[in-house]
Amino acid sequence: MEALQLFNKNETYNGFYVMLMVNRLQMLYFFLIMPRFLIHSYMIWVIIAVGILSQLNILLLSKWFLTRISSEGYNGFVQLFGKKLVRLLSFIGLFFILLKLFVIMLGFSEMVQIFMFPATDSNWLIFFIMLSCLYVAWKGVEKTIRFVVISFLCTFWMFLFFAFFFFPPIAQLSDLYPIIPMELSVNSWKGIFLILSSFSGPEFLVFLGPWFKTNNKTFRYLSYGNALTVIEYVFLYMASLFYFGSNYLSKSQFPVVTMARYFQNPVIERIDMVMLSLELFNIVFAVSIFLLLFYGASKIASGKMERPPSRVGFLFSVFIILIGMILVNEWIWKSDEKQVILLNLQILAGSLSYLVVPITMIVVMKIKGVNKHETTKEDG
Amino acid sequence: MRLRKKMAKKLSIIFMALWLTGCAPFTENNIIEELTPVTFLSLSKGDEGKIKISTILPSLSKEKKSVVTQEVSLIKEVLRSFNLNFYQEMKFGQMRMLIINEDLGRNEGIMSIINVLLTDPDISLRIYLVIVKGNFEEYLENQLDKQENLDYSFYQMLKHYEEKNQGELSVVNLHEFKNLLYTPYSDPFLPVFKIENDAISYKGTALFQNDKLVEILTTFDDRIFQLLHNDHYLAVLPIPKLQVVLGHVRSKTKVDINKSLSTMTYTVNIDSRIEEYRGEKQLFDPQDLEDFKKDIQSNLEKQTQELVKKMQELNVDPLQLGIHTLKPFSKPMDEKKWIELYKKMDIKIKYNININPLTDANSKRQNL
Repeated sequence: MEALQLFNKNETYNGFYVMLMVNRLQMLYFFLIMPRFLIHSYMIWVIIAVGILSQLNILLLSKWFLTRISSEGYNGFVQLFGKKLVRLLSFIGLFFILLKLFVIMLGFSEMVQIFMFPATDSNWLIFFIMLSCLYVAWKGVEKTIRFVVISFLCTFWMFLFFAFFFFPPIAQLSDLYPIIPMELSVNSWKGIFLILSSFSGPEFLVFLGPWFKTNNKTFRYLSYGNALTVIEYVFLYMASLFYFGSNYLSKSQFPVVTMARYFQNPVIERIDMVMLSLELFNIVFAVSIFLLLFYGASKIASGKMERPPSRVGFLFSVFIILIGMILVNEWIWKSDEKQVILLNLQILAGSLSYLVVPITMIVVMKIKGVNKHETTKEDG
Repeated sequence: MRLRKKMAKKLSIIFMALWLTGCAPFTENNIIEELTPVTFLSLSKGDEGKIKISTILPSLSKEKKSVVTQEVSLIKEVLRSFNLNFYQEMKFGQMRMLIINEDLGRNEGIMSIINVLLTDPDISLRIYLVIVKGNFEEYLENQLDKQENLDYSFYQMLKHYEEKNQGELSVVNLHEFKNLLYTPYSDPFLPVFKIENDAISYKGTALFQNDKLVEILTTFDDRIFQLLHNDHYLAVLPIPKLQVVLGHVRSKTKVDINKSLSTMTYTVNIDSRIEEYRGEKQLFDPQDLEDFKKDIQSNLEKQTQELVKKMQELNVDPLQLGIHTLKPFSKPMDEKKWIELYKKMDIKIKYNININPLTDANSKRQNL
């Protein structure tokens, strides 16, 4: 029997894949509910501003990718932080990954339940989605990274549909007024963190360094991915302002899906269902990546890095996550008040990890004296 | 290999256990033969605060159709009572129209009805809302034998006028109504159809204050309303007083508010052509045509002034005039403050009319 080849490295992927991954990891769940929390039209500027901040992070990330250490994976981190600290950090990282997994999966399955299978228990949906994620992740990191192309092709064009809302009679210029903030409230701060948290995701690419073929063009590709996200966010948010008007926006639980329900087509009536199903490809991609990262991190945390990945071990970790999800779904997600706590936690955790990870990497590199020029990888 | 076999065995046992114990995840049965979609619901006031709901069943199959009516206190309760009285299960997914009786709108408001529709993801946001004057159930019962696809043809008519805003009727769907209802500085409106002698005909536009029907605009007022707001287009605009019919009337409106927010100038630019004239004027004569334009202008201005005055008195703003107070760089006004201002506001109406004269025809007089 062949051994499970989860973390094998036979080929590396170029900047194009990195671009797709940056973009798709930023378009997971929060963008679907974002308009509900942003409400005011001037938040468009905030999205753009946070997008620029995210671009700075991307710059730091690309610096990291240009070092040789980034391609060494676990050993590279050990070189930087030392074995014990790496174990501790990956243990902390487990919580971040878990939280992200829970929010994405529970949020999405709730949406599927509301709009597609209202009579089905959402735990079943979680189970089925997790099965497909397990299948993808089982193929290993390489194949999962390659899966991003499918997920991108299935989903990236969707935002263009929303151009429909940019024309009268739905769009009125006055829906965008006032375009500068007249007063700031606590909610505005929350909105900023929400946006930052939705931009988070690319920081996890740090741990996938060995599978990327990086060169001077990497920064450009990463920026393209980030820029596409900014365009998609602004586009969707403006469309939702036109469609709902900022007064009603906070009342709609899933604004983007509700907008999709307004599309009409003589052949397919419920376009929203088709779009939600295709969006599933993206969720499956992201969750599979996070499952692999979770398993890898748990191996490091438990100090079993030398052993090859085992079937039972991987299945066990997925099973634990599944059980965790179902429990969180029952105890927390299903009641709205508690759900908000989890969302807020993810908003904070996402912003924190996105701000801290790239900066830490660069600072530690500087302290340890890893010089970019000495260690730049050869092209290819 | 042994491990894999073992695993497969274990997994299949788990699966069998789940499926056989009836823990199947999909509870809803959507076999098409066992369902009957509802195309419309007609709501009217029942006894003791109840709501009378009727529809035609089965709406799509080739069986004989009949009108079913139930009285319920909660709208969604009707699903159960219809299901108990019919062999197929009802589904709301194909609902296209909601017909609301005038009394219900006038006395109770329709907010609760709208909210029921909005919360159900199965119900499209594009369903048309229609106000009906008269007994719609009776009309259905009388008419169903003569015209089997009654509901479908009614829907087709609404759809025709909705597309590209072809003028003539106010057609409002759920999304538009909801937006007008929930946005500050605006009040919703709906089309009104009247039932008379076994026929249903368009009567005008119902104006709402929040969710309550307060006034119905008919005839000339309704035409002006289409020009000012809803469609900005009319195929024909007869002005009986001047014995003239204007055709293909397009309008563009412009609103100016002075700084102290006390006067509003509402300018309507109209492009049109004279399609019929039975009056005495020599329209080939440029001077006469100019005079005639002025007549039309003052006539329209007077009518519109009265209409706007009426809206101000009723405190309804379907024209969304308040939106014009919004500016990109200032804080939006409080809605209550706007309502106070709107009541007192001096609204001046101005028409600029551009008319193509009668062509390829001689005036009556010249022939004499």
